[in-house]
Order: sequence, then C-alpha cells, then structure tokens
Amino acid sequence: MDRPRAQGEDQALERLARAWMEDPWGHFGHSATRAHSVDPAEAEAVQTLGVALRFAERRDRIPVLARLADAQGIRRIDRLDDAAPLLFQHTVYKSYPFSLLARGRFAELTRWLDRLTPVDLSAVAVADCATIDDWLGRLAASTPLDPAASSGSTGTLSLFPKTKEDYRIAVRGLRVQALQTFGREPGPGELSAKVHFLVPLFRGGHLSIGAFTRYNLEEFCGGDEAYLHTAFPGPVSADLMWLAARLRAAEARGDLAKLDVPEALRARLPELRALQEDMPRAQRAFVRQAAERLRGERVVAMGTTAMFHEVARAALAEGLERVFDPDSVVMGGGGAKGVELPADAEEVILRFTGARRLTSAYGMTELNTFSLLCEEGRYHFPPWLVVFLLDRDSGRPLPRRGEQTGRGAFFDLTNRGTWGGIVTGDRLTVSWEPCPCGRTTPHAARDIRRFSELEGGDDKITCAASPQAQAEALDFLSRL
Amino acid sequence: MAETPILPAVIRGEAVAEPLIPFGGRGGELTFLAPDPRAIADRLPLSSPRLLADLHALRLDEILDFLEEAGKRLHLDRNPYLAEALEWSVHTAPTTRPILEGFYRTLPAMFQRERILTWIEHTLGREPLEGWVAHRIGPYSFEVRAYGSRAVHIVAGNGPTLGALTILRGAVTRSDTLIKVPSNDPFTTVAIARTLLEIDPRHPVVRHLAVAYWKGGDQAVEERLYRPACLDKICAWGGFASVKHVTRYLRPGLELIALDPKYSVGVVGPGCLADDDAIAEVARRIACDVAVGNQVGCANSRKVYVVDGVDEAALARLVRLGHAVYREMLALPETLSTRPKRYDPELAAHLEACRLLDGYYTVIGGEAGEGAVVVSHSPEAVDFADLLADRTVNLIPVERLEDFLAEVDQSTQTIGVWPPAWLEEVSHWGALAGGQRFVELGWHLQGPGLVGPQDGIEPVRRLVRWIVRERPSPEARPLWALDPDELKLLA
Repeated sequence: MDRPRAQGEDQALERLARAWMEDPWGHFGHSATRAHSVDPAEAEAVQTLGVALRFAERRDRIPVLARLADAQGIRRIDRLDDAAPLLFQHTVYKSYPFSLLARGRFAELTRWLDRLTPVDLSAVAVADCATIDDWLGRLAASTPLDPAASSGSTGTLSLFPKTKEDYRIAVRGLRVQALQTFGREPGPGELSAKVHFLVPLFRGGHLSIGAFTRYNLEEFCGGDEAYLHTAFPGPVSADLMWLAARLRAAEARGDLAKLDVPEALRARLPELRALQEDMPRAQRAFVRQAAERLRGERVVAMGTTAMFHEVARAALAEGLERVFDPDSVVMGGGGAKGVELPADAEEVILRFTGARRLTSAYGMTELNTFSLLCEEGRYHFPPWLVVFLLDRDSGRPLPRRGEQTGRGAFFDLTNRGTWGGIVTGDRLTVSWEPCPCGRTTPHAARDIRRFSELEGGDDKITCAASPQAQAEALDFLSRL
Repeated sequence: MAETPILPAVIRGEAVAEPLIPFGGRGGELTFLAPDPRAIADRLPLSSPRLLADLHALRLDEILDFLEEAGKRLHLDRNPYLAEALEWSVHTAPTTRPILEGFYRTLPAMFQRERILTWIEHTLGREPLEGWVAHRIGPYSFEVRAYGSRAVHIVAGNGPTLGALTILRGAVTRSDTLIKVPSNDPFTTVAIARTLLEIDPRHPVVRHLAVAYWKGGDQAVEERLYRPACLDKICAWGGFASVKHVTRYLRPGLELIALDPKYSVGVVGPGCLADDDAIAEVARRIACDVAVGNQVGCANSRKVYVVDGVDEAALARLVRLGHAVYREMLALPETLSTRPKRYDPELAAHLEACRLLDGYYTVIGGEAGEGAVVVSHSPEAVDFADLLADRTVNLIPVERLEDFLAEVDQSTQTIGVWPPAWLEEVSHWGALAGGQRFVELGWHLQGPGLVGPQDGIEPVRRLVRWIVRERPSPEARPLWALDPDELKLLA
C-alpha cells in the first residue's frame, strides 16, 4: 500500500474483506452486476487483506500449509504475490499412496485428509467403513465436510475437503451469474423462483459431479424434487467411478490382473459395464424426454456442448425446435476432448432449445466460485476469486496487468474446507484490461486447455513411454 | 531469434525448398520454414514397387561401400549440414547441447561397415539379403529371400540418431524409405540426407530416400501417402502419438510396424545395501541408468525396486541410497548428463505434494530443476510414475521378487539387474511378465545399441518382404501321379 491508511479506513477494509470471505453474494445483494462492477484497485486491496487474514487464521490449523510456509520462510502476506508460493499444487489432493485406497485403509486416509483441512477430523470413527462411498458418507455425516472425490485419467482419485457450505456458495454463484443479465438488478425470478434444473448425470453421491446436483436441488429447485431432472435416478458411486478409472489404466497396461481393487468392488464390474454401455443412449433419451415434458418451461440445463449438440441435431431433424422458454439457460463446455465440433454447434443447440445464449462456466471442485462467460465470450472472475497467473516454467507470478498467458492459479477467499489457494494444470490467457461487456473484473479467453494436453501434443514423437501417450491411449480406449 | 531456419525436403536425390511455409512456433517454440507438404506430397512416394529394381541390382557390398563413404562425411566438425542442424536442434530437442553433440559424434561409427554387417547378422542374416537361401522339408525344397519394401517411417525425435538408423535399415534391406521427421527433431535427418545426396544424387540408395516434414495427422497429406498404391509398410515410433494418426489408413496391403513407447526399470536384490561401499556401487550404477542422456530415452531407468525388506532399517538404507544416487547423478560429466533443459512443471508439482505430505515419501533434491530422487516409504511406486523424467527416479522398497514382477508389463523395455548373478532368474520371470531386455544394473544406456530385436518387435525383419521360391525335388511326386489314397495337402 502506497500511503498509510487511517485506522477507520483499515477497519472499513477489514469489514469488506470479511464480507467477501463470509458471504460475498449476500454482500453484493445477490447481484451479478454489482459483484462484477467493483473498482479494480479496491478489489486488490480487499483481496490482499483477505488472503492475509486467511493465512493468519489457517496457518496453524492446516499442517500442510504450515509446512509449506515454513519451507518458504513466509510469515505474513503484505502483497498478493507473497501468497503465490503458498498456493497448493492440485496434485496435493491425490498425494496419498495408492494402497490406502486399494486396501481400504480409511483411518490412514482420514489422517491424510486431516492435514489438508481446518476441519477437525480426529474424532471421526471410520473403522467400519468398507467402501469409499461409506467413508465419504461418514465424513459428511459427522463433520461440516462433504468431501468431493473426482477420478483422474491415470486411475487415481482426487479427494478434496469441501464443506457443505462451500457447495452452497458455489451453487449460489452459479444461479446468480447464470440467470441474471449484466446491467439489470435481479428480480425474484432470478433470485428465488423455482426453475427446472436439467443435468444428464446422477442424483447425488460423493463424486463432485453428483454432489453438486444435491445442492443445485436446493438452489435452483427450492428443494422440490419435481424440478430436478437427472438422467439417472440414483447417486453416482465414487467406488464405481474409481473402478472405471482403474479399469482403463489396467487395460492400457495390457494386464487386467493389475486392476488392484478390493474383491467386493471387482464384483461390481458387470454393473459398471452396463452403465457405460447404456450411458450415451440414456443421456440422449433423457434430454429428448425432458424437451417434450418441459416444453415452453424455463430451464437451466448443464452438460457438455458435444452431448447437447448431438441431441439437438437429431431433434431438429425430427422437427423439434425452440422447445424451452427463451429465458432458459444452457451451459455447455468441456468434455469435447478429441471430438471436433462443427462451427455451427452453438447455433444448432440454441435453435433446438430456444435459449438466447449458450453459456459456459469455468470452475473446478477446488474452487467455490464459478466464472461465467460474458456477452463477449470471456470468463469473468468474481472479485473474491483472486487470480494468479504463473509463468509456465518458473511458477513465478506474472504481472496483473495487460494480457498474460500462463498457468492458472487461484485463491478463493470463500473456501471453508481448505486453505483456498490452488495451482491448476490449466493454461489460461487472462486480461486485466476493461472488457467491452462492461464488467470491471479480470477475464480469461475461452481457449483454456490443460498443459499436459498441449505439451507433447504437437507432433513430438518419442520412444519413451510418456503420460501423454498413456492418457491418449486411455482416452482412445474409453471411446471404444 | 533473428533467423528462421529453412528445412528443405530431400526427395529422391533432390533438395526441395519451395514453396516454403512456416511450422512450429507454438508456445514460444522455434519456427522453421519447410516446403508446403501438400505441394510436394505426390512426389514423396514411389509409384510402383517394381521401381525398387535398381536397388536390387546392387550387391550388399556395394550398398555398404556407399554407406561407408557416407560415414566418412558425417563428422560434425567437417560437415556444415550437421553443424547447422545441431545449432537448430538445440532449440527443438528435449535434451541439451552437450548431449545432442555427443549423439551427433556417434554418426560415423553407426555407418561403419563391420558394425552394420554385425547387426545384419543378428537380425536377418546376410544370406537372404544376398540371394535365395535354400531349405528343405521332407521331400520338398524351397528357398527364401528378403526383398525390400516401400515404407514410411514416422521416427521419434528424442534421440537425434534414430533417423540415421532408419536410413541404414532402409538401405541394407533395399527398401524405399520415406521418413517423416518429428517436430522435436526435424533437422538432423535432413542434414544426413543432404550429405548422402552430395556423394551421388543418382545412387539407388539416394534415389530411394525421401525425408520431409509435415504435421503428423495432416489428412490432406497423409491420405495421399498412406495408401497401398504408395506404400507397403508404416513404421511408427512412439506408439499412440504417431499411431493415432495412422490407424484409419490401415487395410490389407498396408502393414503397421508399431514401435511402442517403452520405459525401463531397475531391480536390486537382497543384501546389496549392506554397507557404504555397497551403497556407493549401486548408486553409481543407478545414476547412469537414470541420468545419461537426461532420461529422455526409453532405455533410461525411471523406477528402481529394491528387494531388501520394507521395515524401518530397510527404509533407512533406501534413503541413504537415494542420497548417494542424487550425488552421483549430479556428478556425471556434461557429455553424459546435464541439468535438464526444462523441468516438467507437472512433475515438479507432484514432487512438491510428496514433500509436503511427508511420511509417505522422502524427496531428495528437485527444488532447482536439477533432478530428484523420490524414495517411497511403502512398497509401491508413486502414482505419477508415468511422469518420471528430467533425471527423476523413484526408489521403491519391496519384500519379494514377486512384488517387483507384478509391476513389469509389455511397456517395460530394459530391466537392469543387481547383483549380476541374479540376471538368470530375473530375466526368465521378467520375460514372462512382459520385460524385453535384461542387463546388468548400470548398463542400460551402454551396449550394442538398437541392433537386436528392438523390444521384441524385430523391425528389420518386418521391413523386408519375405519371398518364397519352390522347386520340386527329384523324389517328390506330382499330384497327378499320386494314388488316390496318397493324396494329402499339408498346411
């Protein structure tokens, strides 16, 4: 800070920082317009203080953070960039030895997770947990956590200490930003009316894709099950999805004997095979049925652009057009790796659904804050989501000005279940220049890709087995 | 960089440098200019296999004469093409200049007559290349001869001499060789081809060599080339990275030789870490297997299993070994190993996570991008083992040989064994598990080279077309002279 602040100013700043940490959407009156209209200089001052406060309160409660801070010799945070070396690599959340999961050593896994969260897990009894679902369910039932599992391409399961409150903040932000129009104050239709929520996945479970649905049911449907539409009636099983990932990894290695999962889980192979076989058909059928049942209704639909496109093309061929209310929201994106979408994919989806705009959110399990596409096709980061763009090689923070390309890293001031700072595997191009859409917040270009996908992908051939080769083989197998 | 390098295509005795278009340049990578592949695609393949007649009119000795002459001209200090290629390759290669230069300096030896003859002997044998080789089964006699084929080679770029090896294989098998150079090493093979062209642009070996760059997967180019009318074989290094573009073109008449990507490991037997001297011995060997050439090759060790128990004392020995390996690795001379060109940030992130969640792993080094040793505390490899590179090795304690064998599979190429007396047992069980090459620990990177069966794939044997010629022997009776009860057709 360039000049000393008066005590009153300091107190006002701290009140703001606390508000952004505790209930940012409430603080901005649940208005996407107001949240995205803060003065950038003020935002940075609040962010800096917010990160410093979080560091002070969590340093001694999260052992891994203390260890990292000690190793870096960092005692306090005066500038945002001071926090860059303290952001956790995303790999931290899968850093447990594989055997803990394979042998069902849940007490040890709990101790591992306990070192990553300020929530005290020491009193949770897990001795009788037989499956991953049991264990995650036990943690959710007896602590503020609702831990989120997500399965990776190499057969690992990432375990993230998200709290129930974290989920609620996340889905609130999704609703606020997806349903409102920038420049217009929200009315009850945007803020609280029940809307139909469509997601071609599962109803609950501890994998984050399923868990989100439980919270979206509260946020979008007012808890009314009749407003929640999922392709599958039951929850997603973390065990089953882990089995799927293990299976792909074992197949790529050419030896199914190396599956290395508990016997009881292996017995669920037929269930998994049936699900995998049925999935594409079930998802298409689901969107078609929803289109007929919810004709003219306002819906919020979330899925991948590729899936929506496939359904839309088939439906249009049969004359199904503009099936939902024009104020509906269709959120696509992701999942199209290796699938080339035609240039008119978006137009096809809009013609079928009748929605005015296809949007997309950039977010991840490790963050509570989704960043949505603006009218100019840029992902805008709400002000309490601090953006660090790191140099691809050195990991040092790039300046927060102009336009920069690097590794995306974030500190989410609202995170409860963990430290809040995360370094992703994503390459982003972020601009701190004003966006023509009118929002004052920094914004990223649409083309966000994993570094692991970019590197080696460009026609570099090697005789040494590489993760790229491995991942692509897996990707290929999963499409068979 | 002020200058943009030009990469000509070398097509059947002619260097072609137009029309040039730019390639590369993504993410700060080197941009280079090369002929538009769509403009030259139709000139790359050999239109008829019958045009291989000129190569087949040469005796093997004449081909070797030519290669020997080429070897004399492939000295880095005297060959301006190579000198220039090395300068540019520093920007594209995964390794550093001293290591690249070391590879370049091995080129003359690769072209030595005796060496080539020896590896021919160990793959095909010289006779079927020279003429018909007679055999006999029962009353029937037959002859076999190796004829050349038309092949495209999608070569790997992590070692700059793989293009040279491909040229040699093509020449001695009297094949028509089209080389698609990779973006991580576009320059070296073109420089070698230009050197050959200067010897004699009309020599059949030169007339049957085409080297060009196009982006792998460029359908406009590949669908014109990858057809049975143009090619008999596709030899793809690097597994999925190259094979994914190729599979769509496979059909009867077009064969795939897939040189799958591999990784290599070490295994150390019980009681081998008994004292400081023993640890130093093992560490020196592991350091070479891991770090020579900066661990960009498939033969480089990435994991070493130590079958010496999993208790605390065993772990303490393993950590001492880890420190010794780290020291030895950093002490290697720079012609063998250097600080990696760029340490993979993804791998660095995993190491960081291991360091923070201590108790599961001991991480030695790796904070300055120099390389690292990760010691597992439990009998399992790190789950990012696929990423291990840039002089990073995982040491894993296990209880029994069986625990190690469970980790061997078809992608395991070299297995370095210590002590030497254990080689017999480990190679047998390791082969059954999928391993392909067994050496003494410390010798992963030093040996006869890629001259044997190469991961069991036998690319040289598969590059030729094996032709059979049969003549009845005097005692064989024709079908028309047999009694009805003597009639039988044996498959």
